[in-house]
Amino acid sequence: MVPGRVGIAARDDVTLSEGAPDLSRLAADVLSRLSCLGVVAASPSLPFAEFLLRRANADADAIIPLDTETRTFLHDIPIVRREALAGDPARAIATLLSNRKGVIAEGVGIVATGPVTLEQAYIHYSSVFHAAFVKYLLDALQEGFVLPAEAGAFRAFRETLLPPSTAEGLSFRAGPLDDPEEVLSEIRAVGRFTVLRGLVDSFFGNISYRVGETIFISQTAASLDDLAGCIDPVPMDNRSTTGITASSELLAHRRIYEATGARAVLHGHPKFAVAMSMPCDVKDCPVKDCWKDCTRVRMLGDTPIVAGEIGAGGLAVRVPPVIGTPGKAIVYGHGVFAIGRTGFEEAFRSMVDVENRCREEYFRRLDARMRRTPSFGCGDFSGRMKRRAQSKSE
Amino acid sequence: MPETILVVDLSSGRMRREEIPPGLLAAYLGGRGLGVRLLRGRHTLSPFDPGMPVVFAVGPLCGTPAPTSARLSVVSRSPLTGTVYDCSSGGRFAWRLRASGLLAIRVEGRSPRPVVLAVTSAGEELLPADGLWGKNVGETVRALPDRGSVAAIGPAGENGVLFASVMMGEGNAVGRGGLGAVLGRKNLKAVTVDGDLTTRVADPRRFNRARADVLRLFRASPVIFGELGISEYGTPALVDLMRQRRMAPTENFRRTVFEDSSAYSGPAIRAAYGAKKDGCYGCPIRCKKSAADGRRLPEYETVSHFGALNGIADLHAIVRSNDACNELGMDTISAAATLSAWGEARGRFPSADEIAPLLHDIAHRRGDGDLLAEGSRRVAEAMGKPELSMSVKSLELPAYDPRGAYGMALAYATSNRGGCHLRAYPISHEILRKPVASDRFSFSGKARMIKIAEDTNAAVDSLVACKFAFFGASLEEYAELLAGTTGERHTPQSLKEIGERIWLTERFYNTRNGFTRADDDLPERFFTEAGSSGEGIDVPPIDRARFGEELTKYYRIRGLRDDGSFPDDGFLEGLP
Repeated sequence: MVPGRVGIAARDDVTLSEGAPDLSRLAADVLSRLSCLGVVAASPSLPFAEFLLRRANADADAIIPLDTETRTFLHDIPIVRREALAGDPARAIATLLSNRKGVIAEGVGIVATGPVTLEQAYIHYSSVFHAAFVKYLLDALQEGFVLPAEAGAFRAFRETLLPPSTAEGLSFRAGPLDDPEEVLSEIRAVGRFTVLRGLVDSFFGNISYRVGETIFISQTAASLDDLAGCIDPVPMDNRSTTGITASSELLAHRRIYEATGARAVLHGHPKFAVAMSMPCDVKDCPVKDCWKDCTRVRMLGDTPIVAGEIGAGGLAVRVPPVIGTPGKAIVYGHGVFAIGRTGFEEAFRSMVDVENRCREEYFRRLDARMRRTPSFGCGDFSGRMKRRAQSKSE
Repeated sequence: MPETILVVDLSSGRMRREEIPPGLLAAYLGGRGLGVRLLRGRHTLSPFDPGMPVVFAVGPLCGTPAPTSARLSVVSRSPLTGTVYDCSSGGRFAWRLRASGLLAIRVEGRSPRPVVLAVTSAGEELLPADGLWGKNVGETVRALPDRGSVAAIGPAGENGVLFASVMMGEGNAVGRGGLGAVLGRKNLKAVTVDGDLTTRVADPRRFNRARADVLRLFRASPVIFGELGISEYGTPALVDLMRQRRMAPTENFRRTVFEDSSAYSGPAIRAAYGAKKDGCYGCPIRCKKSAADGRRLPEYETVSHFGALNGIADLHAIVRSNDACNELGMDTISAAATLSAWGEARGRFPSADEIAPLLHDIAHRRGDGDLLAEGSRRVAEAMGKPELSMSVKSLELPAYDPRGAYGMALAYATSNRGGCHLRAYPISHEILRKPVASDRFSFSGKARMIKIAEDTNAAVDSLVACKFAFFGASLEEYAELLAGTTGERHTPQSLKEIGERIWLTERFYNTRNGFTRADDDLPERFFTEAGSSGEGIDVPPIDRARFGEELTKYYRIRGLRDDGSFPDDGFLEGLP
């Protein structure tokens, strides 16, 4: 497997770039054509995005993963093929990026913009990577491998790049915690653990702890592995609005505390859990927008799966009633919530457990898929492609 | 279908509907952009010259169900700042203007007697308004029943208060910059609009998908629909946050923390007045809040400036001040900031009981009110203490202390209409972390960020959409809404390019009216006095050298000379 490479470019009154020379040059060329502050161009070591592009129909000009990240923020991910990149690749990519946060470029990788900050370009890159990763897992499960290089790359991924998640070797404070300074320190530490152990990328999750009538919760758009100064104290009775900058999942956290009496809530987007929340065996189901409209509580092992939009949407209603007994729940296409009755160790171990079980289940199904033709029920779970032939209004 | 503008010459009483050249709309969209373009050729006239137009313009999304788009811009030249000036407002007026078959109204001339301009889809007329002259806004609105929506001036506009507003009958304000005084000088007491025409959406499927995307992003935004967000508490949701960030302007910006600010926080207002959700036509956010008796409750800027800036913690007095400004037709920010500057200059800030009578004196230019009606710069100069006007280009600064957000500091300085937080709105990323967080105590990268945000917001003001929508959505989704409405291709990049054209046009007008780099500056206090440090947050004075360095970078990014001037005197000639 080829190591990942990255190039970045940022622009103030002058343009700065660094990283792999070809990618940083491309990033700078793209940036020169756009009104934004930064561009990331990267060839990830896992070529899943590239595989998605090459698996797509020849007339497709975008892929549409159906995970929450895509539905909410990306809408779709444009793809640009090698022949369109001939001559002036930066121009072809910039044209697509004039309307979207990130693109997949054949032979290049993922290119993403940061309209406000360079860090935002990294976030958009990460979102595209996450969405492509999840979609590829599901496509492989549904359709098997199509390209000659896929089986080998996937095997290498499975055997060398994918150690099981674990909580071993990490040190957690025993709860309950009452000292706010201790709480802040523990939140920062556990936030780092979730990224360190590969459960989430930096920006995909949130974390909180309740002390009396105050919830200490990570701020919106905060990096889980860099939470210093990014934790808001929010009173349970809303007598202060300082927490307006708190995570968009504040309401879900609050209701989980109210419903369960837990002290800690951890939420992240581990990729196998996101992927495995989406296939469904119900046939002829009338629900079309499963991710927000499905009212069923499905089970993956001992973990309930519910649907619901983020923020002021439905997950704040559907997660609290199901999370109390198992201590964990998966939100369709979105991620995992886990609780700790006294401290974070229980929550962290639950999230690790869910992700590992989802990983095992994924590979069990994939192995079975390789042995026989699969049969799925409803489940247009692997997303779609947007075709050039479709009208602009599509 | 061609878009139409109503051109009104108040001097002669002649009115005509004209087709707007499609090329102008392609280049300037509508709203602010169209208004700014229509000022070309008149942009060096005095704000009170009869020939100076006032443009009321909606945007291409108005009349559709595009979220937060039932808005308009009013554009002219400000008597307070001398700059080109646009001000955006919601309510129902914009939607009804669109339903009368118009995209814009351009009012010129000066009526020999007070009039009301009444517009419907069937036609327009000028109504005698001698009986309305001297009336408050509420009285004026009630005197025009069955006329649809009303935009009216109060006594402040009639009497030439330099920060007089234009008030919408629903309680929204074309608040800042004194455009009410421009209407007053034209003897135009009110404009009413009504109609029953609908706006066509070229591609409903595409439009509806984009609309669903926008609403999903609203629901995902803690600032918009979070349980502590503006939908719940209105903009006073920011009171506690600004206190915690130690950047709430207090006692004319001498300090940045007001210990008693919780008296007028969002939760406090809800508890005291049973605040109900209210809002502009068709807006899902409903950030406006009303009391049980229907009165509009004050916004963040208003409570903070009638509160902390004047050292007042009496919520009911603050609400009375807001009521008075709305009835008299005055900008609450400039009114409160002018009183604060006056208070510091004379050695005593006005008490809670003194404020409301002073506001009436200002509107009627009685006693001290006659000087106060000129705004803080002229007041401070007249009192021999010009440094006490906390303004940029004579526009009083709103309730975000620039020592606590360096992008805001730069954006105040570069704003084409003076000390305004909404031109670039860096509070969004420096404080509210949307769409991403930036380091509020650093100038690094801010020149480029401010330039991009100014262009973006110029496009937003020309669509015309509400800035608050962009705490969740982005130009990506609004470009799709526009494409769905018009059937033409639009992208965030193309919209930002339009925004840049609008911004540069405004700047060029200002340079022709004598504005230079020296006007792109902050009051000296911010460079020499620290804010209120504490609780682990240090609020030092702004480093002037670093500020100047970033300003120079900003000019270079804009393609201007280092002194802020245009390298090409024929700049306008190259534009559509």
